[in-house]
Amino acid sequence: MITLAEGRWPTSEGDTLPAVAGFVESTFSPLAAEVARRCLQSAEPIAETAVIIVSSTGDLATAQATARAVDGGIRPGPLLFFQAVPNAIAGYIAAKWDLRGPVVCLSPAEPDLAEGLAVADLLFLDGDAHQALIISVEQATSVGERDTARAVLVKGAV
Amino acid sequence: MAESVAITSMAVASAYGHGCEALLQGVLSGKPAFGPVSRFDVSARRVGVAATMPGAPSLRSLLTEVIAEACDGEPPENLHLAIHGEPARDHFAGRLFPQARTYTSACVAASQAMADAAASIAHGFVSRAVVAAGYLVEPDQFALFDAGRALAVDEAVRPFSLGRKGILLGDGVAAIVLEAGSTTTREPLGWIRGWGRAGDAYHVVQPRPDGSGLARAISSALRRAGIGPAELGYVNAHGSGSPQSDAAEANALQLSRAGAAPVSSTKSLHGQSLEASALVELIATVLAMGEGQLPPTAGFLEPDPGCAVNLIVDEPLPAKPRYALSLNSAFGGANTALIVGAP
Repeated sequence: MITLAEGRWPTSEGDTLPAVAGFVESTFSPLAAEVARRCLQSAEPIAETAVIIVSSTGDLATAQATARAVDGGIRPGPLLFFQAVPNAIAGYIAAKWDLRGPVVCLSPAEPDLAEGLAVADLLFLDGDAHQALIISVEQATSVGERDTARAVLVKGAV
Repeated sequence: MAESVAITSMAVASAYGHGCEALLQGVLSGKPAFGPVSRFDVSARRVGVAATMPGAPSLRSLLTEVIAEACDGEPPENLHLAIHGEPARDHFAGRLFPQARTYTSACVAASQAMADAAASIAHGFVSRAVVAAGYLVEPDQFALFDAGRALAVDEAVRPFSLGRKGILLGDGVAAIVLEAGSTTTREPLGWIRGWGRAGDAYHVVQPRPDGSGLARAISSALRRAGIGPAELGYVNAHGSGSPQSDAAEANALQLSRAGAAPVSSTKSLHGQSLEASALVELIATVLAMGEGQLPPTAGFLEPDPGCAVNLIVDEPLPAKPRYALSLNSAFGGANTALIVGAP
């Protein structure tokens, strides 16, 4: 596997996170979009690129916001419906960068890119993708922690 | 030459009951399993029905039970699991199966898990893999689908029909054991002959209207199976019953020249089981092929000129297809195609 480009968040103490129109209440999707941008801005992704999102927690903030609304007898906002699965931001990224490979979302037991790389390898072997943008997003789960995200663009070894 | 991939065991629980026979008889009955939701309060929702089992079963327990049944006492090694992430409400209860590779890709999670498990066997990495998936209708996703106006307000799923209003959710917990054809000692129930995955690169939640993403997944699966579209004798469509998705899928079938095959959507009967739906549908497909009866599509009102598919309605269609195609699509433009070969 050859790494073609990489992007991370945060890269400094004061690193900021741009919002993504239509995504609310949670940093999960903005983090995925931002590290994808940082990764792809210096690369030349091809159409046959898979988008693979890897997160051990998933979008915890969206799930918790939904649970709070349901428990409180409040109708959840429709935007929460659209962002309730990580596929949504993967589709946003795929459309923005014209990445027509498979969209895959994984939830490994520990924060790690390894399962994303393993799935990318199968997609390359099968010819369903020639490159893969693998995005790891981990939201903070306790006070004092900070969200982290990373994206790598990879292709199979020749 | 790639290793062949045999389906050697299946187990399933759905609103039709526990077991493969209950699912088969349910989908062949043509009678949808939808009814009023009593598992939680739906009085504030626009829609109040789903296809649910009695009571409030535990996903953790039922999934464990179904996997054990499929594995028949053997350990679930190389487990590929499709679920809706680790639920926020259950976050500290621990992961369901820490050893599994867990797919959370919405309505294609189980079909992607199946494709990857099949690929792992075909490329010789493993000789046996287990694919399992589970979704039980619960208040949070139900509220989200209701708020997103995705649920059918007329309380029926009408895939490819004029007047279709949307989807309805359904319980589904399923497991399939795959083994290398060259080493299995079991009688195959069917074969995974082809698989394909492709993306739309179009929208956050809408499918690409021309169906070209799904068509590429179909073409990839056909190529891997080494067959042409005319050899497909049945399509268990994604057929969600949503206006845009069904039209895009019909276009995909035409684009990939698979439009002549008889089509049904078993989601119109057992409901949309989200991350688990593709596995329930694959099991229904294998069972129908073995029975020689293809399930009808429920809810049909009248043909939609925008959905030119050869839809099976009213009664099961007697047929013994050599190959069947099972399709799934999801938010983010994710598409999968699986080709089942008869035993």
